[in-house]
Amino acid sequence: MAALRTTSRLFAATRPAFKSQIRTRTMATVTGTATSGAVPPSQTTTVKEPAADADSKIKTFHIYRWNPDEPSTKPRMQSYTLDLNKTGPMMLDALIRIKNEVDPTLTFRRSCREGICGSCAMNIDGVNTLACLCRIPTDVKAESKIYPLPHTYVVKDIVPDLTQFYKQYKSIKPYLQKNTPAPDGKEYLQSKEERKKLDGLYECILCACCSTSCPSYWWNSEEYLGPAVLMQSYRWIADSRDEHTEERKAQLDNSMSLYRCHTILNCSRTCPKGLNPGYAIAEIKKAMAL
Amino acid sequence: MASIVRPTMLKQSCLKAVSKQAFSTKPASTFPAINKPAASVLSKQVARNAFAKSALPGSMRVAAFHASGRRAILPALPPNDAAKFPTPHPSHGSYHWTFERAISVGLVPLTIAPFAAGSLNPLTDALLCATILIHSHIGFEALIVDYIPTKRLPKTRKTFDWGLKLATVVVGVGLYEFETNDVGLTEGIKRIWTA
Repeated sequence: MAALRTTSRLFAATRPAFKSQIRTRTMATVTGTATSGAVPPSQTTTVKEPAADADSKIKTFHIYRWNPDEPSTKPRMQSYTLDLNKTGPMMLDALIRIKNEVDPTLTFRRSCREGICGSCAMNIDGVNTLACLCRIPTDVKAESKIYPLPHTYVVKDIVPDLTQFYKQYKSIKPYLQKNTPAPDGKEYLQSKEERKKLDGLYECILCACCSTSCPSYWWNSEEYLGPAVLMQSYRWIADSRDEHTEERKAQLDNSMSLYRCHTILNCSRTCPKGLNPGYAIAEIKKAMAL
Repeated sequence: MASIVRPTMLKQSCLKAVSKQAFSTKPASTFPAINKPAASVLSKQVARNAFAKSALPGSMRVAAFHASGRRAILPALPPNDAAKFPTPHPSHGSYHWTFERAISVGLVPLTIAPFAAGSLNPLTDALLCATILIHSHIGFEALIVDYIPTKRLPKTRKTFDWGLKLATVVVGVGLYEFETNDVGLTEGIKRIWTA
């Protein structure tokens, strides 16, 4: 059977021996852009564009664009103008409107549009935040700039690659680790005070705003865990039900994982959920000190 | 060809049977080959393996029947394994941090004391010099660790590490000379300080 196959393949291979290399195109190749050589619609149409309202609030958005299909072209900033009167109040509304009505190639992550999923984390006007929780500044003269999260690999436009972030999250074992069964065989109970320790920790949605705002994480993201992951690490260290606290602490006990934090506190400043990763890291350091 | 394929085939059909057995409520009696050693084979481990096999897409499982090698359409995705922790080193981790903080806190009274008391004690002077030396060594070390990662610049890192050690020793010797043969640190600052 196998022999038959190879011979038949040999015959097939003789045919395109001198196939022209230039004229052959792979399937997904697109040559030239859609606009090249085409007459702009303003010259072909007799329909007049409606004039802008006198009370319209036209705001300019500069958005970072990079297409992985054209890896040789440099990233660029593309400008879009929107009338704020016709746009929702949040940056995400503006982005969705741009994608729907102006440029469908604009790529960004979004899901819940209410600050609970953490998908739309991006750098807006120099601050890492969730686009869905960030109001559009009503000052029309000020132009807004939108970048992907700083110091991340960019997948496309404002979509960052968070693989390393998730790998690090996985490495801290973000789940309850127990050796002993529950006393009543059903559930692990906690006092109110013990539960209170987890407030301000469990709310983290892992949007990576804080980690990507941390200069230490910029320079050493291979080994330094970064504020978001460290706060989650503390969430499990502080949990009264968890029995692997010492293992968790011992894991962090090296020069890189935890101690690259220099209390810069960009994390606490930028957190769109109002959490305090800097405090959590300080608590870990305190717990690990002599 | 067929003789090569056969063991693989057998193994796969066996695994399939195991997985079927593992996930069905009926007692398995259809496969005589698997029936005999069932008690030993049907351990958790095997069931898990079988499960992993069944989780593979069908195209991958039948690959053994093809004469040509299987070629993936897309390159394999990066494995989403947990990031590795560096080996734990309390002397570089928690002990180091505690020591560093102790030195920093200790520097405050040591700096104020000689000027507040107005007296110059060679012992506190020597202590101050030593603390400053250690403090600055730790500070510069942090700089090097932050900005010269071993992974990307191993040689530069090594150079800077040894450079720092050398600099610390030189400064230490200099301070020692200054303390023993000259007026000493606090007196020197006092003379320079004309404000």
